[in-house]
Amino acid sequence: MLRVQGLEASYGESLALQGVDLSVEIGEIKALMGRNGMGKSTLLKAIMGLVKIRRGEVAVEGRSVTGMPTFQIALEGVGYVPQGREIFASFSVLENLRVGLLRFPRAERVIPKEIYDYFPLLKERENQRAGSFSGGQQQMLAIARALVGRPKLLLLDEPSEGIQPSIVEEIAEILKKINQETGLTILVVEQNINMISDIADSCAFMEKGRIAYACAMEEIMRDESIITRYMSV
Amino acid sequence: MSAAVQILNGLNYILVLILVAMGLVIIFGLMNVINMAHGEFFLLGAYTVVLTSKMGLGFWVGFIFAPILVGLLGAILEAVLVRRLYHRILDTILATWGVSIVIKQGIILTFGPEGLMVKPPMPEMVTFAGISYPSYRLFIMGVALFVIAATFYLFLKTDFGLGARAVIANPNMAASLGINTRRMYLTTFSLGSAIAGLAGATMAPLMSCDPHMGLGFFIPAFLAILVGGASSLGGILVGGGVIGGAQNAISSVYSPVVAQIVVFSLAIIIIRMRPEGILGRKARD
Amino acid sequence: MLIPGIPRLLVLAFFLLLPFVGNLYLVNQFTLLLVYGMFAMSLSLLWGYVGLLCFGHAVFFGLGAYIMAMVTKQMIPGMDGILSSSLAGILAAVGFNALFALILGWFLFYGRLSGPYLGIVTLAISVLVERIFINWYYTGGYNGISSVPALSFAGWEFSDPRHLYLLVFVLSLCAYLFLRRVVNSPFGAIISAIKHNEARAESFGFHATKYKIKVFAIGASVAGLAGALFAAAAEFVSPTELGFKMSTEVLIWTALGGREGLIASFMGAVTVKLLENYLSEALSEYWVLIIGFIFLLSVIFFPQGLFGRLLENRNKGWSVTSPQRSKTKKEGRVC
Repeated sequence: MLRVQGLEASYGESLALQGVDLSVEIGEIKALMGRNGMGKSTLLKAIMGLVKIRRGEVAVEGRSVTGMPTFQIALEGVGYVPQGREIFASFSVLENLRVGLLRFPRAERVIPKEIYDYFPLLKERENQRAGSFSGGQQQMLAIARALVGRPKLLLLDEPSEGIQPSIVEEIAEILKKINQETGLTILVVEQNINMISDIADSCAFMEKGRIAYACAMEEIMRDESIITRYMSV
Repeated sequence: MSAAVQILNGLNYILVLILVAMGLVIIFGLMNVINMAHGEFFLLGAYTVVLTSKMGLGFWVGFIFAPILVGLLGAILEAVLVRRLYHRILDTILATWGVSIVIKQGIILTFGPEGLMVKPPMPEMVTFAGISYPSYRLFIMGVALFVIAATFYLFLKTDFGLGARAVIANPNMAASLGINTRRMYLTTFSLGSAIAGLAGATMAPLMSCDPHMGLGFFIPAFLAILVGGASSLGGILVGGGVIGGAQNAISSVYSPVVAQIVVFSLAIIIIRMRPEGILGRKARD
Repeated sequence: MLIPGIPRLLVLAFFLLLPFVGNLYLVNQFTLLLVYGMFAMSLSLLWGYVGLLCFGHAVFFGLGAYIMAMVTKQMIPGMDGILSSSLAGILAAVGFNALFALILGWFLFYGRLSGPYLGIVTLAISVLVERIFINWYYTGGYNGISSVPALSFAGWEFSDPRHLYLLVFVLSLCAYLFLRRVVNSPFGAIISAIKHNEARAESFGFHATKYKIKVFAIGASVAGLAGALFAAAAEFVSPTELGFKMSTEVLIWTALGGREGLIASFMGAVTVKLLENYLSEALSEYWVLIIGFIFLLSVIFFPQGLFGRLLENRNKGWSVTSPQRSKTKKEGRVC
């Protein structure tokens, strides 16, 4: 689904990407882990075209999206839920979702029923101002907003950040369900090991702007020292 | 002049000023670009009418063509100039200002520096409740009100407006959701320009058209934005009302120069007293 | 600290030798060019070094010129004798501008008006003041004030064009050295830091607004000095000197010369104005069109200006800017 090869980029004051190689298979949930400031968020931004790529290549389903403007990458089927969620706080819940629909022709701008099946709350509160939502609710909204664009690949940046554990669990369950029912491929940056072990199929660890280690989830289950090696501060 | 006519004239000026300011502010709101050529777009709108009148095509042809031509020019300008300077916002101001110099000088070379008159397209007067008032001025007010209302509708009620507001709130996020930000910028710049062109065309029969008239509207429109705040469309209504109203009221009692001095001082004081209302949200450069 | 590069040495030598080789017409012409150059340098300080893009900078130049004319022609009640001397005129012009800019800056900067908006407000001021003077009968209205007395100090009149030239040359040099001193001082380092990252500068404890107001006043004062010298050298002043046209011109000079360098801006003014003197007759109204186009192209393709690179001095100066920045972006302050 996604192939990243030799990607180099820098972003603000955070560490540059220094030759990232990563691939995500169709239908899998891949977790991207590592300590803070190792370039995980920058990698997602670079895939999304929000950070200028200096060298290397990003391909989605075999088609290169390197250097494309962000909106076009989105149209190629990549959904993005950034760190901090970045919902449109002054918009209503429904308006937030409708922004995700604007890419389609006018007649097709209908929110798929499944979205409300996964996130019934968004239907009940559709006229509420999104900014008044709790962190967890905003996260659900942000995921749903990305999903209405019917992406093939979803990039999630720290979905558990600042959210209470019970909601994190709920979000994890929903993501797993969506993945199983629709075959959506997910690349998720996450620090929360519990969440990852619940949903991910495979795992990659970043260190100093590179992928330091990649393996299947089972391997981590067997050998927890991998986690301490790449995650402990 | 009776008080009623005076007030109507004031309202007339305010509405046109709001129109000019609105064109500026939608471009600014979306792209963070101050279009210094906005006054010259107004000028081009007015001279379109001057030209069609001269050619014998009459006012109405110019009136229709002015927003189209100026909107087209705005689109070209965005595509060949403003787009190159996305990452140098300060330079977009300079570049559009360079464009304004070229346009103004082009007008001087083509039409000469002196003022030109356009034959009034609707010379008859309307009398209502004992007040006699030029029908053309009523027409202008109608047009201005319509365009202002339509712009509000476009940005607050339509899908295009939803996308535009998303781009204003968070351009990167909007693009990540598949909104074509480039086309959005192009459309908005063109639309803002077209509004200026239309405003110029409507004003042409009311004043003597000279190459400096654009600046004469750009500056008060800019002050109106500063006073009202650029963060919401509603701010321009307030700003346009304050600046346009004060300008008109004072110049009818004293002189236009006194009015300008007072209005400018007023604007400066308001900026000092209420900085949060003035471009507060978009103060980054 | 003051070791000019070769190109700048050549500039200095050229202007120093000019009155000894050129004819009187040329000397007269270059006296005004020096004045315009000084004016451009004051804009360069505000624009290139602090990021205050003044669209109406001529208001300070013009006010300086009017004050000089009014003081030396004894048009200000109560100011005669020594108070109507050239020196008094210059001091009044500089002082008034400093005060005017301080008050204006207090209103605008505390109104949290950042760079470009402030610049356009100055344009509004410039156009407004131009209109005031056009309508002010006492100062000659549209025609302005003519027969402004030549410069004289302590009874010694600079009636010989060469002497006048040398005086203006020395004053321009002083203005340059002063501005250079400002930008290379710790004060200049702070304003540069504010330009690059205001929030960071504030976090270091610098009150950015106060610094901006001060530098605004300095820029206005130097423009006022240039204006005062203009009035005395040209022997007249009119509303054109403080209005839109002049504001436009000085911006073009500075942009084409190179906004980020004092000498580059100076040379921009001299070059463009010299070309204008010779070409505008042949090209008439097309001159403005052409220079407008050139300006437009320069904004897009060479924002550094024509002389920006040539006269740039890559000494490190006092870079207090954020360390990351100074590493990535060459921080060589010009001049």
